[in-house]
Amino acid sequence: MKIRILSMFLTVALLTVPLVACGKTAETDSFDGIYEDEEYVETDEDVVVVGFSQIGAESDWRKVNTESMKETFANAEGYELIVDDAQQKQSNQITAIRRFIQQEVDYIVLAPVTEDGWDTVLGEARDAHIPVIIVDRMVDANNSLFTCWVGSDFLLESKKVTSWMNKYFTMQGIDGSEINIANIQGTYGASSQIGRTSGLSQAVRDNGWNFLGAECGEYTQARGREIMAQFLNKYRDINVVYCENDNEAFGAIEAIEAAGRKAGNNIKDGEIMVVSFDGVSDEALDKAGEGKIACIGECNPLHGPRVLEIIENLEAGITPNKFEYVDESIYSGEDRITTISVDGQSYYVTVLNK
Amino acid sequence: MTKKLKNMTDTNLLLTITIVVFFLMYIGAIVFQGKGFLKPQTFFNILNANAALIILSCGMSLVMITGGIDISVGGVTALVSMCCAVYLDYKGGNVVGSLFIALGIGLAFGLVQGFLVAYLDIQPFIVSLAGMFFARGMTTIVNTNPFNVANEEFVALKETRVIIPGLGSVNKLGKYVNAYVEIGVVVAIIIVILMFIVLRWTKLGRSFYAVGGNKQSALMLGINVKRTKFLSHVICSLLAGIGGYVYFLHVGSGAASHAAGAEMNAIASSIIGGTMLTGGVGNIAGTFFGVLSLSTIQNIVSSAGLDQAWWTGITIAAMLCLFLVIQSVVMSRKNAAMKK
Amino acid sequence: MKKINTQIFIPIAALLILLLFNLIADPSFFKVTLGYNSVGNPVLSGYLMTVLDCGSELAILAIGMTLVTAATGGQDISVGAAIAIAGSVILRVLCGHDSRPTELQAPIIVAFLVACVVAMLFGAFNGVLVSIFKIQPMVATLILYTAGRSIAAWINNNELPIISDPKFGYFGGLIPGIAIPTPFFIAMGCVIVAALVLKFTNLGLYTQAVGINESSSRLNGLNPTFIKFLTFVILGLCVAVTALIKVSRLSSINYSVIAKDIEMDAILAVALGGNSLSGGKFNMWSSIIGAYVIQLLTTTLYKFNVQSDALPAYKAVVVILLVVFSAPTVRDKMEEISKKIKTRKVTKGVV
Repeated sequence: MKIRILSMFLTVALLTVPLVACGKTAETDSFDGIYEDEEYVETDEDVVVVGFSQIGAESDWRKVNTESMKETFANAEGYELIVDDAQQKQSNQITAIRRFIQQEVDYIVLAPVTEDGWDTVLGEARDAHIPVIIVDRMVDANNSLFTCWVGSDFLLESKKVTSWMNKYFTMQGIDGSEINIANIQGTYGASSQIGRTSGLSQAVRDNGWNFLGAECGEYTQARGREIMAQFLNKYRDINVVYCENDNEAFGAIEAIEAAGRKAGNNIKDGEIMVVSFDGVSDEALDKAGEGKIACIGECNPLHGPRVLEIIENLEAGITPNKFEYVDESIYSGEDRITTISVDGQSYYVTVLNK
Repeated sequence: MTKKLKNMTDTNLLLTITIVVFFLMYIGAIVFQGKGFLKPQTFFNILNANAALIILSCGMSLVMITGGIDISVGGVTALVSMCCAVYLDYKGGNVVGSLFIALGIGLAFGLVQGFLVAYLDIQPFIVSLAGMFFARGMTTIVNTNPFNVANEEFVALKETRVIIPGLGSVNKLGKYVNAYVEIGVVVAIIIVILMFIVLRWTKLGRSFYAVGGNKQSALMLGINVKRTKFLSHVICSLLAGIGGYVYFLHVGSGAASHAAGAEMNAIASSIIGGTMLTGGVGNIAGTFFGVLSLSTIQNIVSSAGLDQAWWTGITIAAMLCLFLVIQSVVMSRKNAAMKK
Repeated sequence: MKKINTQIFIPIAALLILLLFNLIADPSFFKVTLGYNSVGNPVLSGYLMTVLDCGSELAILAIGMTLVTAATGGQDISVGAAIAIAGSVILRVLCGHDSRPTELQAPIIVAFLVACVVAMLFGAFNGVLVSIFKIQPMVATLILYTAGRSIAAWINNNELPIISDPKFGYFGGLIPGIAIPTPFFIAMGCVIVAALVLKFTNLGLYTQAVGINESSSRLNGLNPTFIKFLTFVILGLCVAVTALIKVSRLSSINYSVIAKDIEMDAILAVALGGNSLSGGKFNMWSSIIGAYVIQLLTTTLYKFNVQSDALPAYKAVVVILLVVFSAPTVRDKMEEISKKIKTRKVTKGVV
C-alpha cells in the first residue's frame, strides 16, 4: 500500500518536470514581449506564428543564424517565432514540421540538414496550406513543394575561393603540380558541403593540383583538428588544406601548430595554407588578417531580416522570387589581390588589415 | 508458485505506473499547451515518428527479460536503411527484395550475436558493442553519403497511409482532415500484440522469464537456457531488422547517422515500461507505453518552443531516474518480503 | 598466479601483433622526427607519438573504469557525457561571464579543482544509484549519459567559449622545451598514483573482494556499498583529468562531439586487458596497455587510409576475435583439441 502512495507521489512529481521546464523558459523569454503565460502557442488571429526548424548549434555560423532569426522576429510587431533545434537529425526536423502543421502555424521556415528526403513532409505542409520558406541549404524536392528559398550560392563561394588561390599561386610563380591539397569536408549531404566540395574538385581538375584526400569534419572544430592531425601524418607533403567552414579551419590550424608546422600563405617555405568559408566570427576575420587563414569565402548568416521581408510580402499578397541569393564577398589578409574573376564576372576581395 | 505470483504483481504495478504517467502527461500537455495536442493527428504523429522505436524496444525488452542487453539495434537500423537504399536506388532492386535484405541483416546479426552470447558465454554488452561498431562502420563502407530513395514502388509504399475512421480534425481552412498512420505503425502494433501474446501465454514466453529470473531454477525446470538466450538475441536482432525497415520507410533515405542513439532510447523506453535489466521482469505493453511516454515528453518540450535543446535530455533523464528509483524500491520490497 | 600472467599476456600479444603488422607493412610507421612548431619549440612527431598522445585520455579513463568494473560487475557508460560536463565547468570558470575572454578569469588550477569536485559529485550520483539503490551500473549511468551533454551545454549557455591564453593549451599540447606531448606525462602521472594507491592501500584487494562475492565480503567486515560508491568517485576524478586534456587540446568545447563514444573505447580497454566485465579480479596494467592498444589500432587503420567513419567496423572484427579467443569456453575447447592432437586423435570439423 505504502508503495502505491509513494508511486502516486512520484508520478505527480514527474509530471511537474516538463511543465516546470516550460514555465521557466516562458519566464526568461517573457521580456521579449511575445509570450503570455502558458498559452503563448495559441494562435490569435492577429499574431503571425512562424515555426522555424533549425538544424542545430554545431558552428558559429549556425548560432549567428539562429540569433538573427530570433532577434528579427522578437523586434517585429505581431510575430511569434517557435524555434525547434533538431540536433543535426533529419528525423527530428520531419517530426518538428509535422508538429508545426498540427499547431497550425502560419509559416514554416526550414533550414534543412540534408538536401534529400523532404517530399512527403513538405507535401503535408502544402496540403495544410502552410507556406514553407527554405533557408540556407537547398532541398532536393519539387519546386512546387516550397514557397521560396533564401541562401547562399555555395558553388559560387567555392569558385571565388579557388579562383583566389589560383591567382595567388600564379602570382607567386608556383606551378599547379606543386600544390598538394587536402579537403576537410562539411556534413555529408548538406548543400554547403556539396557546393564547396564540387567547386574544389573543379578547380583541382582545371589547375592540375594534386588532390590528396578528403575526410568529413562535420563542420566542427574538434573534428577539424582530429582530421588535420591525421592528414599531417598521412601526407607529409601537404601544403594546402581546404576547410569547408571556419570552425574546421580553427581546428586545422591548431593541429598544424601542434605538429610544429606553421599555417600561412608562404607555402614555398613549408607553411601550410588554410582556406575556409563563412567568416561570421571576429576570430575568423582576425585569423584571416594575420594570414593564418589565407582566404575566407563569406557565407552570410543574417537570414532573419530577409525571411521577415518575405513573410511580410506574402501577407500583403506579393509573391516573392523563388530563389533569392544573398550577396557575399570574400575576405583575405593578402593585399596584393584585390579582385578575382569567376566565369567572366569579377568580384572584389575585402582585404583585411593585419 | 508464490514467487511467480509476486513477479506478476511487480510487473503489473510497474505497468500501471507507466500507463498512468503517460495519460497524466498527455492530459497535462493538452491543458497547458493548447489545441495542438487535442488533435488526434498529434498523437498519431507520435506513433508515426516512433513506430521503429516501438519495434526496437520490443526486441530490447525481450533480451532484457532474459537478463541480457543488445546495444547494436541502432546500428542495425542504420545498416538496414543504407543497404536497402543502395539496393533500391543503385542496383535497381524491388521492394520485396529490400525487405528480404532487411530481414537477412537482422537475422545474421542475431545468429552471430546469439551464438557468441549463448554458446560461448561472452558478455552480451561486449558482443553487441562490437555489433554496434560493426554495423555503424559497415554503413559508411556501403555508402558514405546520405541520399534519398527515388524508387517508385518504394515511394508509393512510403506514402501509403492508413486512415483512422472516425478520427480527424478540421484544419485552418475549415476542411475536415482524417487522421492517418503510416504502414510502419500497423507493423509495430502487430508486433507488439504478437510479442505480448507470446510472452504472456506461451511456454516459450514463460521460459524467457524463467531464464532471466533465475538461471539455476530454469535449468532445473528443464528449460534449455542456452537455446532460450540464443533465441532471444535472434528475435531481438530480427526485430531490429524489421524496425530498421520501418525506420527506412519513415525517413525514405539511407544515411550513416540514422537512428543515432536509438539503442539508448530503446533501453530507456523498456526501463520506463517496467522492464528490469536484471532480468525476469517486464511487459511488452509497458514497453509500448514507455516509448509513448518518452516521445510525448520530447514532443511537449519541443512544442513549448524551447529552442534550448538541452531540456529534452534533462527531462528524459529525470524521468528515467524516477522510474529507476521506483523499480529499485519495488525490488527491495520484494527482497524483504522474500526474506520473511 | 598463473591466471594473472595469462591475463596481461592478452593485451601485450595484441600490441606485439599490431606492431609486427606495421613493421612488415610499412616500417615508416616507427619513424619519429624532431621538428619545431610555430613558436619555435621542439616537437616529436610520427605515428608512435600520435599513439602516445591520443591514447593517454583512454589510459586515464581505463584506470577508473577498471575499478568500477571490478567492484560492481558493470560499466559506466556516462564518462563521455561526464567529460563534457567537467570540460564545460573548466571553461566556465576560466571564462567567467564573457565567452571569449582576453585573459583568464581564474587560475587554471582553480578551474581544474572545481571540475574535479563537479565530476566527483556526478560520479557520486552514479555511485549512489548503484550502491544504495542497487540499480545495474549500465542502467544507472544511462541517466547521466542522456542528460550529461545537455547539462554541459547549459553550464555555458550553449555558447562556444574559447580560451586564447596559450598556457591553457599546454595540458593537451606541448610544454615549451619538451618535445613529448603533455597528455602522455599526465597519463603516466595518473598511472603512478594509481599504482601507489594500489600498492599501499587495500583498495585493490577490497574492490576485488566486493566484486567476487558481495555478501561474503560483507561478512568479512567490508562495506561493499561504500567501496562501490568509492570506485565511481575515483572514476569521476579520472573523468576530470581527461576533461582537462580534452578541452585544453581545443582550447574550446563542442558539447555534442567532445569525447563522443569514449565510454565504449574505455570499456573496450578494460575488456581487451582480459578483465572480466562481470567483476572480480582485475589487472590495472592490462587495462592501461589495452587502452594504448586501441589507440594503436586506430592509428594503424588511419594510416591505411581507412575512413574515420568506417573505422568501427574494423575495430569490431578485432574485438570479436579477441573476446572469442579469450572466452573461457573457447579456451577449454582449444585445450581439448590440443590434447586430442597430442593423442593423435585428430577429428575433422571441430573448430
